This record gives sequence, structure tokens and C-alpha cells, in this order.
Amino acid sequence: MSVWFPAMLVMSAQITGVQRLLLLIPLCLSISIVYKTTRCERLGDIPLSTIALWATIVAGMVGVGLFMRVAFLLLA
Amino acid sequence: MAWTDGQRMTRITVAGFLAWLVPGLGHIYLGQRHRGVILLVVIAATFWGGVALGGATETVDPHKRTAWFMAQVSTGAHALVAWRLGRTAEASASMYSWRAEEVAVVYSGVAGLLNLLVILDVLARASQAAPVRVRGGTPSPTRKRAT
Repeated sequence: MSVWFPAMLVMSAQITGVQRLLLLIPLCLSISIVYKTTRCERLGDIPLSTIALWATIVAGMVGVGLFMRVAFLLLA
Repeated sequence: MAWTDGQRMTRITVAGFLAWLVPGLGHIYLGQRHRGVILLVVIAATFWGGVALGGATETVDPHKRTAWFMAQVSTGAHALVAWRLGRTAEASASMYSWRAEEVAVVYSGVAGLLNLLVILDVLARASQAAPVRVRGGTPSPTRKRAT
């Protein structure tokens, strides 16, 4: 069976810490698309509302990250 | 015209099973093709993107990550294929010293959790939908809305 599949599906990739954080961005996009696809009754509303939700999540994560960073620097 | 209880239960059961088996297929069964295709593509891409990052052997492992595996199994056929693939290729996957498996497990697990949301949506739509008459007068299991 493994012969039929690309090697990338069998072996793990090598990524750094920063790349691991960046990989959260497409994951948030997936979550936004699926959520809005189930919620929006009109398909035409999906793209804009997806982008809005995605931007909100990413901005929220960045905000929490910055807050934690500042708190860490102040308390260190 | 309303669904009979038997028709409604059959429709809900089939839609829910298809939504679990292949994410998005439940919506397609209900006649919402575009919505189903979007869900099918996005959930498949999320799951297999995770598997591509971490490798099937380490990403889909019911013994090491039981809770995550339960979430991954919510993607139905995707998880079962990846699990089988991982077992088949177990020996070759242990050659890297650094692995991206944490991110990979989160990707594939979140894909499963997203499909739980999709399954619930399918069940709700299947239970609420009214039958649509087609030529010949027999009720169709499809519902034309939100296209």
C-alpha cells in the first residue's frame, strides 16, 4: 500500500519552531472555512465571513501571544 | 407533504453515516453539492496535510495517542486509510530524529473535530428538510436551498 502513496505521507517532515507557529495560520483558515460553511445559509456569504473569522482568530492569537510575551518580560 | 417517520429516520441515518465516512458526502446526499464539496476538500486537505507533516505512522497511532485517534477517526475513511498506511510503513518512518508529529496530530485531530461539527450540521439539516417533489411525484431526498 505504501508504494502507491508519496513518501511524504509516510515520513515526517522537518520543521523549526517558527514554522510550527506559522502552521497554525492555515489551520485557522480550515477551521474558519468549515465553520462558516456550516453556518452561512447563502454560499455567497462564505468567503467574506470566512476571511473575517480567520483574521479575528489570527489577530486574537497574536494579541494573546504579545500579551504573554510582555507579561513574561515584565515579570522576569 | 411531510416525511414519514421512517423516511426521516432513514434519511438522517444515511446522511450521518455518509458524513462520517467521507466528510462532505452527507451534504452532497442532501442535495447541497457546493457546500459538500467545500467541506470535503477542506477537511481532506487539513487531515492529509497533517499526515504529510508528521507521517502516517506517528500521526495516526491509537496506542500512543488514544484521545487524538478518537478525534481523527471522526474523519472516517481518511483516518482508516492513514492508519492502514502507517501500519504498513511502520519500519521506514522511524529514520528521522526530529519530527513534526505534534503539529501533524493537531492538524489531523482538528480535521476530525471539524467533521464532528459537519456531522451535527448534516443531522440537523436532514431532520429539518422538507421533501422535494420531482417529476413523477415521488419525494426526493434532496433539498434545494442555500445554493
